[in-house]
Amino acid sequence: MTLLVVDIADMQISNNPGDTLITYSLGSCLGVTIYDPVLRLGGMIHCMLPSSKVDKEKAKLRPSMFVDTGLQLMLSRLYESGLRKSRAVVNVAGGAQVLDSQGVFKIGERNFTVLRKVLWKNGLLMQTQEIGGNKSRTISLAIANGRFSIKSGGKLVHYDVP
Amino acid sequence: MTYLKQIEDHIDRFPEMPPLSQQLLGYLHDPQVDFTIIKELVQYDPGLTANILKLANSVHFGAAGKVSSLQTALARLGTEKILELVLSLTVSSRLKVSLPGYGLQAKDLLRHSIWTAVAAQELANLLNMKQVEMIFTVGLLHDLGLLLLDPFIQTERLRFNQAVDAPEASFEQIEQDILGLDHARAGGMILAKWQLTPEIVAGVQGHHQPEQSTQYQDLIFLIHLADMLSLSEGIGTGEYGLQHNVSPHTVKAVGLKKKHLEYVASKTLDKMQELEKILS
Repeated sequence: MTLLVVDIADMQISNNPGDTLITYSLGSCLGVTIYDPVLRLGGMIHCMLPSSKVDKEKAKLRPSMFVDTGLQLMLSRLYESGLRKSRAVVNVAGGAQVLDSQGVFKIGERNFTVLRKVLWKNGLLMQTQEIGGNKSRTISLAIANGRFSIKSGGKLVHYDVP
Repeated sequence: MTYLKQIEDHIDRFPEMPPLSQQLLGYLHDPQVDFTIIKELVQYDPGLTANILKLANSVHFGAAGKVSSLQTALARLGTEKILELVLSLTVSSRLKVSLPGYGLQAKDLLRHSIWTAVAAQELANLLNMKQVEMIFTVGLLHDLGLLLLDPFIQTERLRFNQAVDAPEASFEQIEQDILGLDHARAGGMILAKWQLTPEIVAGVQGHHQPEQSTQYQDLIFLIHLADMLSLSEGIGTGEYGLQHNVSPHTVKAVGLKKKHLEYVASKTLDKMQELEKILS
């Protein structure tokens, strides 16, 4: 098995059954995986911030930094590789938050709001969503069978393709 | 013996400040300093010289135009920046260790420290607080106290794990409750022993309770916010995640808005990655 590490503000796609995509330490960032069980095709993205409007130049250089541009880009790549919307399994984790009574650090919440908009526009539903709280999460996606795993606070939970 | 007493004993055995930084510190407040003296100090360390040049040309520290000679780099940067560079280069090697107590892998702390240093500087620029001095250095040093407390957290693993299960408990408060001091104060104690300047000591010591400081408030709030942003983005969160309190006074103190944080986060990543390559 080969571990393909998805860095912060980055994305990877694979259709090699020997690969597992992994991204570490999602705080308020969102980790999103989309998987086609027939093609054994999967993608993972680690987005930091909700909207590319905050820095359009940066969004051109690093579209995966933002939920709006990043998710759209990953979807386009997956469609190019043959993903069918009807088979797409979407899993989402992250969006945690530091303890902030003033509400300025709600980056995770805003990330999730934008994510839902993009998914809704594309007619996609979420299979798994583990969002919020104040623990960081590490997620992985096994290309061979689409198993999605979340590790957080010493606990590891698996979600298999339905 | 209480933990606080044991930790104080540990400080006496904590490694001294790198000698070169100590010598440079002596020149920091001398505006008339002759840069050839500093060059003399630095040039016998070829690794350091190379890295000073790399840093002097990096996006973060970059002066106008490419700098290729040590003397020019030093003269352009000025003593404060030079001290920042040298401290960064010498201290960063100590920040590369893994800290099993906090659940940090090797280099996690270095990455978190660089992120905080860069973000604090970016915030200062954005909020027109450019006059704040030593901000990069304080950012880089702010979590030095983790090195001191890590073995004690390993010893008290069970109590820490139980305490963090309360979702509203902040980690710095838990450190205070179990060990008698938090990592911010521990870091301040090391830096005071190193005889660093009062603003550096205050900046590190106060970074989780900026509202309680009577001096250097701008600096301390900026470091606090940059630290929170870094943890928010998942940079060096370790086992205890994002369980840290944002000071309820931040918005008022620095005129912070949501969009500021997102803008700074977008700017910080690339600079952090560039500096990480040089410093690790």
